[in-house]
Amino acid sequence: MASTTSSGLDLSIDDVALRFATPSGPLTALEHCSLEIPAGSFTVIIGPNGCGKSTLLRLLAGLLAADHGRVTVGGAAARPGDPRVGLAFQQPRLVPWRLTIDNVALPLELAGVPVATRRERAAEALERVGLAAAADLRPRELSGGMAQRAALARALITDPSVLLLDEPFSALDALTRETFDAELQRLWLERRRTVVLVTHSVPEAVALGDRVAVMTPRPGRVARVVPVDLPRPRPAEMLGDPRAAEIAAEIREVLAAAHAIELRPWAEQAGAA
Amino acid sequence: MTRIGGALLSLVAFLAVWKLATVVGGYPDYILPPPEAVVERGGRAIGSGLLWEHTAVTLLEIVLGFAVGATAAVITGTALGKSILVERVLSPYIVAAQAVPILALAPLLDIWFGGGLLARVVICALIVFFPIAIATMVGIRSTDPLLAEMLRSLGASGSQRTRLLEIPSALPVLFGGLRVGVTLAVIGAVVAEWAGAGTGLGVLINIANQGLFDTPLMFVALTTLAVIGLVFYGLVVAVERRLVSR
Repeated sequence: MASTTSSGLDLSIDDVALRFATPSGPLTALEHCSLEIPAGSFTVIIGPNGCGKSTLLRLLAGLLAADHGRVTVGGAAARPGDPRVGLAFQQPRLVPWRLTIDNVALPLELAGVPVATRRERAAEALERVGLAAAADLRPRELSGGMAQRAALARALITDPSVLLLDEPFSALDALTRETFDAELQRLWLERRRTVVLVTHSVPEAVALGDRVAVMTPRPGRVARVVPVDLPRPRPAEMLGDPRAAEIAAEIREVLAAAHAIELRPWAEQAGAA
Repeated sequence: MTRIGGALLSLVAFLAVWKLATVVGGYPDYILPPPEAVVERGGRAIGSGLLWEHTAVTLLEIVLGFAVGATAAVITGTALGKSILVERVLSPYIVAAQAVPILALAPLLDIWFGGGLLARVVICALIVFFPIAIATMVGIRSTDPLLAEMLRSLGASGSQRTRLLEIPSALPVLFGGLRVGVTLAVIGAVVAEWAGAGTGLGVLINIANQGLFDTPLMFVALTTLAVIGLVFYGLVVAVERRLVSR
């Protein structure tokens, strides 16, 4: 399998709106939401809980369809099952009755790749995420971190040009998470896929992103894209640098400003009382 | 090995308590025969071919009744599990039918279906149907929505989702229903025979109990039914162990 080093695809979210029907009436998750993601970039989407950042990722994965606007991957409408796109969720979502290696091989199995070939590729993918020894274990025998590595291997097995990550490390302890962040950075430096990572951690955003898209509370849209002009690789210590602190402060400022707009009516009411 | 040892130990204890009850109570054989009288009567029933004659018929009814009932139940249960509409339309009838005692309906069904093997298979299948249909429905619904979304993100087709996710998710619950269903098949066969049959273990119980006052023979028939139930239950568990890995 030839893995080109340049690869990556442009992603585009153009004036998207999305509403959900809920028991208490329609809910607008996204409104006038736009974001251009250049090929080969590492883009972090950050925002408060419920701002629609995971929804945005689902649009890119083709799991949801926008009510308004356009979502494209490499110029074509986003769709599920695109082999050029790999997706990892917040939970590992491994199939409990399959061996780890067969979980990793699942995307190839669905595409009809013969068993010998797909197991070989799955073994390679497991090795890439440091999980070669766990190939023949069941998911319940894996720790949380190992399971999430397996999920990452599953997302990487088609050697996708785009990697979509929905807070994949949020359930892990802080130390494991740091290791993961470092490995994710290494994987990306090896092969510049277009990576989109959703998180609500400012330090993680600064540690990993080229650009950090900060979202407003619901209905979500991108308030500002903050560039992160720190050199790579970025070891954990670099987050103590003054420049990193400045960038983190800027992200927090945008988050707070976006919040303030949302909260103003409440503040005024409180002031009047 | 220890499992067999435990089973043997409990069998010995059961026989000892039974024997003790007959000794202490001093009951006549037509009220409660001692174990050895039942064993002796069983030996004669086997020797004369009487027991096998009735057992063969009942076995056939159980196997056919379970096969027909379970197949219909899995198909219906899948439809119920996959479609809320189907559940809304069908479930009142299914539940109502289950609430009607089959014992009361059996004579009527016997007439409707011609009083032969067919009638008994239908009655047996009806008794087996409900727990398996409900287990299938619950099993299909127990599919993890997070895994379903994961498969969808990988572009899985409907048939891939059924094969790779829905069926394996349903199996543990389905086998719970099959375990209940297979023991009910034994009861169903006997109930069906009581509604009108010439041979079968249910018939043998009636003959022994009401015709001959041969209580040891009745116990022989009951024991045979119990053994049949245990063997079929064991078969279901064995298949379950092979298919359900967790």
